[in-house]
Amino acid sequence: MPKRTDISTILVIGSGPIVIGQACEFDYSGAQACKVLREEGYRIVLVNSNPATIMTDPDLADRTYVEPITAPTVEKIIQRERPDALLATLGGQTALNVAVELAESGALERHGVEMIGCDLAAIRRGEDRKLFNECMAELGIETARSGYAYSVDDALHIVEEIGYPVVLRPSFTLGGAGSGIARDEGELVRIVSQGLELSPAGEVLVEESIEGWKEFEMEVVRDKAGNGIIVCSIENLDPMGVHTGDSITVAPAQTLSDVEYQRMRVASLSVLEKVGVETGGSNVQFAVNPRDGRMVIIEMNPRVSRSSALASKATGFPIAKVAARLAVGFTLPEITNDVTGTTSACFEPSIDYCVVKAPRFAFEKFKDSDDTLSTRMKAVGEVMAIGRTFEEALGKALRSLENGRAGLGVDGHARASETKAGYEALLERPTCDRIVYIGCALRCGWTAAEIHEKTGIDRFFLDRMADIVAVQEALRGSRIDEVDADAFRVAKRYGLSDAQIAYLTNSTEIVARTRRKALGVLPAFKTVDTCAAEFTSSTAYHYKTYDSAENESGERFPRLVSEGRDARMSPESGSSSSSGGKKAIILGAGPNRIGQGIEFDYCCVHACYALREAGYETIMVNCNPETVSTDYDTADKLYFEPLTYEDVMDIIDVEHPDGVVATLGGQTPLKLARALEEAGVPLMGTGADAIDLAEDRDRFAAVLDGLGITYPAAGDASTLEEAVKTAARIGFPLLVRPSYVLGGRGMAIVYDAAQLRRYMGEAAKISPDHPVYLDKFLESAVEVDLDCICDGDDVYIGGILEHIEEAGIHSGDSACCIPPFSLSDALVDELRDIAWRLALSLGVQGLLNIQFAIKDQVVYVIEANPRASRTVPFVSKATGVPLAKVAARVMAGERLADMSLPSDCRELGYCAVKEAVMPFGRFPGSDVVLGPEMKSTGEVMGVAPTFPAAYAKTQIAIAYDLPSSGDVFVSVADRDKRYIASIARDFSRLGFGIVSTGGTAKTLAASGVPCRKVNKVSEGHPNVADMIADGQVKLMINTPFGHGSRGDGYHLRLAAVRHGVTYATTMAAAQALAAAMEVAREDGLGVIALQDLPA
Amino acid sequence: MSALSDRMLAGTSKPRRRPALLVLEDGTAFQGTACGAAGEAFGEICFNTSLEGYFEVITDPSYAGQIVTMTYPQIGNYGVNPDDAQAAHPALRGLVVRDMCTAPSNWRSEMSLPDYLKAEGVVAIEDIDTRALVRHVREHGAMRAAISTDDADVTSLLAKVRTSAPLVGANLVETVSCAKPHAFGAADLTEGKAFAFAPPFGPRYRVVVYDCGVKRSILEGLARVGCEMLVVPWDTPAEDVLANNPDGVFLSNGPGDPDAVVRTYEQVEKLLGHVPVFGICMGHQMICKAAGARMEKLKFGHHGGNQPVVNLRTGRIEITAQNHGFNVVFPSLGREVAQNVVENDRFGRIQLTHVNLNDDTAEGIAFLDIPAFSVQYHPEANPGPTDSHYLFEAFALLMDGRADYLDIDIAQNHLKGWKFQ
Repeated sequence: MPKRTDISTILVIGSGPIVIGQACEFDYSGAQACKVLREEGYRIVLVNSNPATIMTDPDLADRTYVEPITAPTVEKIIQRERPDALLATLGGQTALNVAVELAESGALERHGVEMIGCDLAAIRRGEDRKLFNECMAELGIETARSGYAYSVDDALHIVEEIGYPVVLRPSFTLGGAGSGIARDEGELVRIVSQGLELSPAGEVLVEESIEGWKEFEMEVVRDKAGNGIIVCSIENLDPMGVHTGDSITVAPAQTLSDVEYQRMRVASLSVLEKVGVETGGSNVQFAVNPRDGRMVIIEMNPRVSRSSALASKATGFPIAKVAARLAVGFTLPEITNDVTGTTSACFEPSIDYCVVKAPRFAFEKFKDSDDTLSTRMKAVGEVMAIGRTFEEALGKALRSLENGRAGLGVDGHARASETKAGYEALLERPTCDRIVYIGCALRCGWTAAEIHEKTGIDRFFLDRMADIVAVQEALRGSRIDEVDADAFRVAKRYGLSDAQIAYLTNSTEIVARTRRKALGVLPAFKTVDTCAAEFTSSTAYHYKTYDSAENESGERFPRLVSEGRDARMSPESGSSSSSGGKKAIILGAGPNRIGQGIEFDYCCVHACYALREAGYETIMVNCNPETVSTDYDTADKLYFEPLTYEDVMDIIDVEHPDGVVATLGGQTPLKLARALEEAGVPLMGTGADAIDLAEDRDRFAAVLDGLGITYPAAGDASTLEEAVKTAARIGFPLLVRPSYVLGGRGMAIVYDAAQLRRYMGEAAKISPDHPVYLDKFLESAVEVDLDCICDGDDVYIGGILEHIEEAGIHSGDSACCIPPFSLSDALVDELRDIAWRLALSLGVQGLLNIQFAIKDQVVYVIEANPRASRTVPFVSKATGVPLAKVAARVMAGERLADMSLPSDCRELGYCAVKEAVMPFGRFPGSDVVLGPEMKSTGEVMGVAPTFPAAYAKTQIAIAYDLPSSGDVFVSVADRDKRYIASIARDFSRLGFGIVSTGGTAKTLAASGVPCRKVNKVSEGHPNVADMIADGQVKLMINTPFGHGSRGDGYHLRLAAVRHGVTYATTMAAAQALAAAMEVAREDGLGVIALQDLPA
Repeated sequence: MSALSDRMLAGTSKPRRRPALLVLEDGTAFQGTACGAAGEAFGEICFNTSLEGYFEVITDPSYAGQIVTMTYPQIGNYGVNPDDAQAAHPALRGLVVRDMCTAPSNWRSEMSLPDYLKAEGVVAIEDIDTRALVRHVREHGAMRAAISTDDADVTSLLAKVRTSAPLVGANLVETVSCAKPHAFGAADLTEGKAFAFAPPFGPRYRVVVYDCGVKRSILEGLARVGCEMLVVPWDTPAEDVLANNPDGVFLSNGPGDPDAVVRTYEQVEKLLGHVPVFGICMGHQMICKAAGARMEKLKFGHHGGNQPVVNLRTGRIEITAQNHGFNVVFPSLGREVAQNVVENDRFGRIQLTHVNLNDDTAEGIAFLDIPAFSVQYHPEANPGPTDSHYLFEAFALLMDGRADYLDIDIAQNHLKGWKFQ
């Protein structure tokens, strides 16, 4: 069956901002879909509110709407664009939910839009537990025993029958939000009552606990003819009880015999058939009782998922690409295997390596939140590693995480305990560090069997880890010059990094590396080819291993011992020996984490495109399976490898690149820059010394002094005494932070000596070798970001972004607007002038981001980063100038003057607002107040003729809805009381009731704003917390009293998050919100495609 | 190996290393470590890409005379359960893996794979860059090879390889066929797999099975659809079989060169048209040879559990387990009379029913004027996907005289025979 010709325009829905449980894997899948469908000749209309995505690049779709993904907005787009079909299965739960809403409301039918890939009935059968369980019962496939609760009483009745512990899952929530395990009545009541509120259907599944069972996933693809294939099986290292997104997972399944695997396979295929997934990729999850093999099905997702992205990267089989083709009518046998280029896509990949995925967490960002892993996902990102064995892949995965680790322990980190008993509790509770504790426990005398008892982790994995630890411990204490080639080989085969070998031998990584290379212990690069080498493959997708009889990439160094003349290597080995043109390596950004997200991947991908256009052979190095950069299609060549010195240098050793790009992937590659340069590697663009010039405070201050540019008074301190002395010199308030940090990690504002003392106590833990920096904090200053590109002679101002929140809120967490809406032309000119002078004198060749604070008309430079910033994608979308591409061309030697870029001081004629998306709902207990430490996971963009309208769009994009009536609860700190009256008056005028406690109520009354006084929580019932719980409060404006306050405000903000109440914690945000609501109500909000913005 | 490296391994699950050597006929050599029985093994080097099911591969009689390389690097992870064995003893000559697991983990495991190999005297080698080996074999074709734990000298072992008996022309079938007829039926199905499989049909058909090295799972597959079988040696005269008056005859898989198995396909010539016949793999080749077909060598053999085959009668794709290097040239069966149908001088019209999607080679045929069909691949799987299990049912339908016996829709048939609670 060929592709459908009865449809011509397809609406593709993306997944919106990066949130926990839904990250850039949907940019990868969505971008693939857009690419493929356009290739097939369809007109693509895209909606996605996330500007940091490749899929929202204007040339990937015919019409690109960076608009909120809500039913009303999408309907407006449908009215304008008249699509024939809607593809929602590649945009995660967000897209699926909107599609369901549009289908249920009749909007799709009204506008003659057909849902392709999966219809409403199938989505319901896949997602509604009750319908799903019925389907499974009809198939005869077991599900966990369960029942549905619509009240706490229901839940109690169900538990009477199936007994504790039970798993509780609210229906239709994203990433398992609101799920939990209850072991007693207290827990049951708490989780069920929360879950009933979270579930749009007011429904919670109460289920027999299969905690401790083995967990497996099957990635299935089906076509409309009914052909089905398994792309990949995945086994979770952590047993049931830990969300699969939070679990270390391994592909392929390691511990299933053929009969067990085939039984799971046919069950998966039948599930898709039964649920009615017409075409595309789905994910089916199973639990297996390790004692008797009893298999129950946990759930299925009738759409492409995070696991699909992982499976695609793990096998080379591009699930989203294939799913998009299937959705428009192709069948599997009609599609060619993209990777081999010759065989059919209707097959089941065979792999000849082991893949380990490890989640990346950010608990350090959310003090007071529980770091126990559970059925509710908390990871913010992930890495994938490929090795020939589990041991090799695990070592790589653990050193890819960008958390300072060099593998499974023995890397200089302190042990959690020195005694065997000390690990008992650490092993029992699943946490992000448990994998490391297992290594430590093995060193302290725990056996694999004992650890299995405590953790439920399969013995297979524990025995492999025990082997790794045994190898490490036997090496410990040797001198590096005693480590011979055989010993190096053993160490490498068990996944040890050079850094670990150096630590164990009391040497340095460079020495270990030099000796290893001198001994001839070199890695080889193998190819991901979907077929375990059964067929030839045309795709350059590589990984490193120490199985080095043959190298398939870079320099050819076949090392087969050969006697006969016939033993030569095949012509395609060493396929990468390229055209002889120039080669550029682009170093990626590693795992997503707070402070370093998809924005940097976006920049790296753009650099690939630009450098390829400039005639380079492009080579990508990255370890994040969720990204577009690790699509084998993006660069000419992909190395799926950790971004450590060792792993990057090994690639450089075989590729001999003409240039390496280290300034687009955020801090990860940037911190390698100096070491690479010292190793003689040619860096493209800004050199290591210029980077240091900007990052070293003293050197940077000297540059600013030399240029006569103002910056806040500053000092540093290694001890408390020094800090107190510096504070006395500069004066409070102070912005304090450890040196060399990312995303404002460990950064705080201190208002007095007591706070400073407490901070110094905690800061020492973060970075013992580096001092703490103290800067004068410019309270209530306006903060501005500026992104520019410098080629050595010219500077192009990419964008000037005015923050909504005042200085003191991390720029990544602050909303901002292009063009600046409150700055005078004179100020803007001054900013431009400073940028020019700074970029030229730092010696920037490429991107430079400068952060300014403006207070009392004085412009201060806060910092300058000679690299791609988080805002580059947003600025590119807002202005239509692809900054990362331009920067890459500059790095390749082109001149800005020759690029015919639009004038950088033109009037845009519209406003683009970026707003941050916070993950607080995932971290109960963590305060939601914004500060200098970044906490957001993602961002949305709104475009409109005015600032309030654009801001309104961002709020709708995040909350999916703006309140339009009800009560606004207002309670602000004393310093904000002078300004609250006018904002409250605005809300009152908009028809909201104003509710306040004590002080604020008095202020409002005095200003003549009608206001009802309610009790504080401490004043007894009924109080404001009751009103929030009852759903009366629709909006909350609460600025923190004092700092780090744990009073009423803290609890109210938590309640707001829990009950999904829109809130503002700064005056600026509250004001913007009022204006936004007004414009949203009066004019309604139009939709506008990026392609329609004035050039 | 150095003293330090020995110390580093001393505390692991594989503390002691015995060196071993793998040499190919063309002189390519790989140093490795012994992980099975000690000794020297000669055979044809080949590979299998199944991700799991190593034990079924190792015990598959079709691998007689061969040294099998597993492409998945870590083998032995879930141990060995004798219920999964495809024959009482392995027939392969040797095993090559990247990493052998000595500490398996699975509720069904009864012993580790290296212990099994030692007990069965199978020479095996690990620490081999199996991907490099497979790429080499892919490019240069099947060739003789040896694994030795005794001879560490490449030149000396190579000389022995070059004088070892080649696979071509050798009749390996007689080495793995049964010595005398015996019965097999529902009562012989193992308890150990009852957790996964539904109870079999009651006995409905009497079937004679030519044992050219039959896999146990084929007998099980036939038993589950209601066949009570008499398993007979590979060269049993057709007259004796027909005298039994069976409902059908099955021709099994088997090792080696089909040309060497003259005494089987001579019987098939006499069976075709007289009784419903079904053949798998070698059995398929026997039927084709009986009908006068020519065989061709494939550029890349099919060696795994992921080969797509299209059933031309239903349009359905089956993901299949395959293991063959030779293939029937379909047009050599007769002159074309319709699309995918040829007229055979002796047996009438023959239809091409199954084709490999990757390289368009013939994978299955059906005789339209006499009751017989056969497939080149392995519907019994073990290891591999079970999409083609329906062919056993098809055989039952053929014996019932149904013309539409091959038209079973597998999308509705996946769960047939399986049990989930």
